[in-house]
Amino acid sequence: MSLLFQGWVSVAVWMAVGLLLEGLIGYKAPAYLDDPQRRELFRLAHAHGTLLGAVLIVAALSASKFAPPRAAVLALRVGSVMMPVGFLLAGVWHPEGDPGLGIWLVPPGALLMIFGAAAMAFSARNKT
Amino acid sequence: MTQEARPATVQGDFTRDNTFDYLGVRARMERRGDRFTMTLTFAEGRQQVFTIDRTVGSRRIEQYLSQQDGQYVRLPLAYDLVNRRWMSLNGSFFYPDGDNYFQHQTQWDANCVFCHNVKAQPHLDARTRRFATEVTELGIACGACHGAAAKHAEQASSPFTREWWRLTDARDKQIVHPEKLTSERSLMVCGHCHGQRVPQPMDRIQEILTKGDPYNAGDDLAHFYTPVGRETKIGEFSFAARFWNNGAPRLTAYEYQGVLRSPCFIKGEHGNRINCLSCHSMHAGDVRGQIKPENRTDKPCLACHQQYQPPAKLAAHTRHGADSIGSRCYNCHMPRVVYGIMSFHPTHEISVPDPQLTASQSVPNACNQCHLDKSVNWAIAASQRFWPRRFAAAAPSQDEIFNLPEGPRALFMGDALTRAMAADAMGGGGPMKVDPHWVAPYLLEAFSDNYPIVRFFAAQGLANYNRSLLKPDYLAAPGARQMALAQWWASYAASRPQTVSLADKLRARRINVDIEVGE
Repeated sequence: MSLLFQGWVSVAVWMAVGLLLEGLIGYKAPAYLDDPQRRELFRLAHAHGTLLGAVLIVAALSASKFAPPRAAVLALRVGSVMMPVGFLLAGVWHPEGDPGLGIWLVPPGALLMIFGAAAMAFSARNKT
Repeated sequence: MTQEARPATVQGDFTRDNTFDYLGVRARMERRGDRFTMTLTFAEGRQQVFTIDRTVGSRRIEQYLSQQDGQYVRLPLAYDLVNRRWMSLNGSFFYPDGDNYFQHQTQWDANCVFCHNVKAQPHLDARTRRFATEVTELGIACGACHGAAAKHAEQASSPFTREWWRLTDARDKQIVHPEKLTSERSLMVCGHCHGQRVPQPMDRIQEILTKGDPYNAGDDLAHFYTPVGRETKIGEFSFAARFWNNGAPRLTAYEYQGVLRSPCFIKGEHGNRINCLSCHSMHAGDVRGQIKPENRTDKPCLACHQQYQPPAKLAAHTRHGADSIGSRCYNCHMPRVVYGIMSFHPTHEISVPDPQLTASQSVPNACNQCHLDKSVNWAIAASQRFWPRRFAAAAPSQDEIFNLPEGPRALFMGDALTRAMAADAMGGGGPMKVDPHWVAPYLLEAFSDNYPIVRFFAAQGLANYNRSLLKPDYLAAPGARQMALAQWWASYAASRPQTVSLADKLRARRINVDIEVGE
């Protein structure tokens, strides 16, 4: 699966999740509206999934300008899945006052994204 | 809940319907910027202005505290949040009409402070008799049920610690969890405030008024306090009127005593008996009563009494249709015979209804809480017929008054609390909705009661049944009340002579008891 393909799939999937969230608001689903923590986590999942999908597309387009390191690409691919999925799972079930266990996917996902972005930056600088 | 009086916390109407006339005093409640005031104008023109500094209560009535010379004083007027109107606290206590405007103005620091806040320390100066009150948390907050929790909060600030606690179900969280205490200790956490009490020993009161309440959630409450009972006295003051003649509490804030007297508690296995958390939930469900919706059904009772789960078995036990209100456990075993804050609540003394107690001890019975148009003797005969093993020896009262319909009998013959309870039940406040044409004349006659709280429930009932007429004001001056009644009687003129005659006959046997509600 190419980086560009994964990016567009990510954007499509997480935009669809956004539509689902609008539907939950529209139909006033208590399980969503009455749980502020779940709302916040689902919105974070939607926002991160869509934006990180866009980051993958940009990374894929950058690849035509310079050859990105394999580790950076892998980090971006994995991180862009872990972060939104972590937020989503953390909101599906969570204890009172805290996110669910899925939240533990988010910090390593974020570190992978940061590593991937930094590696891309170095790679771009060396190319230019 | 005690709160600082701020625009975000004050719910009373200080801007539109903000005047209240009572006993010749005009009160005007005003908001000036972020400050709230209550100005009393007396008949002779003198004015007294109170700054409102704190509020107490946020669901039924909102009371107001004003700092007077460094001491917090509860003001005589409150806001009825349910009926959206100003009221005198004289109208919420069981006292007859009087002329003391400030009858229920009290000092917050010495009384209310202990249960409406967490860990109050009044710091009473024995020499000056002045308080310098401090509280750990204003209002009823975490510490009331979970005890001192500074170490817990410090440790829990780490997400890793919180996750570890969850994954390991750790015990050592440096905090009290009422669900993890024995049932008796758990009951004490709530009973600390929901069970009016006297210090143990009595001279501990000095320690309480200076250093503060020594009890912490999880402690043995009996080590510090004794629950007030019908026989309790402090000097000449007796608590007897706060209990029915058989010793069952009849005011809220005595739920602890009610549960302790319940067979469900007494017969339970030590450490694993019924307690507040068997039905109530502090962090879920309706904030009124703090009960999950499913626990407003038969579910909590069926947890132990599974034999009544099948509808046929239930109907055989209750002798009422399985789907009817007569088959709901709490309607018979927890009838609404306890007063607190302008409403009647289910008793927490979970017991078997016995209509004989009404005739012998003036204790209300669950049967006639619904069957208001039937007599006590009818209920005694029905109990004998339906449950012959338990009531084989039951005998009807020889007093012919107990052949009268119990609703009107209690409404006119009972003491003030019994009359208010009957007015509430007849007015549709309870499970049974009675024929308005039968009940309205009685409620109209009850509206001439000399206890404002009885008039309150009568007016509520009238308004429930007939929305085309203006709801009479239970705190209005006598002349205004008579005028309002005249309009109502015009609609029920034919029933009036008979109603008044019965009411007069019953009133002749009335015993009046003044009760100051402990809330």
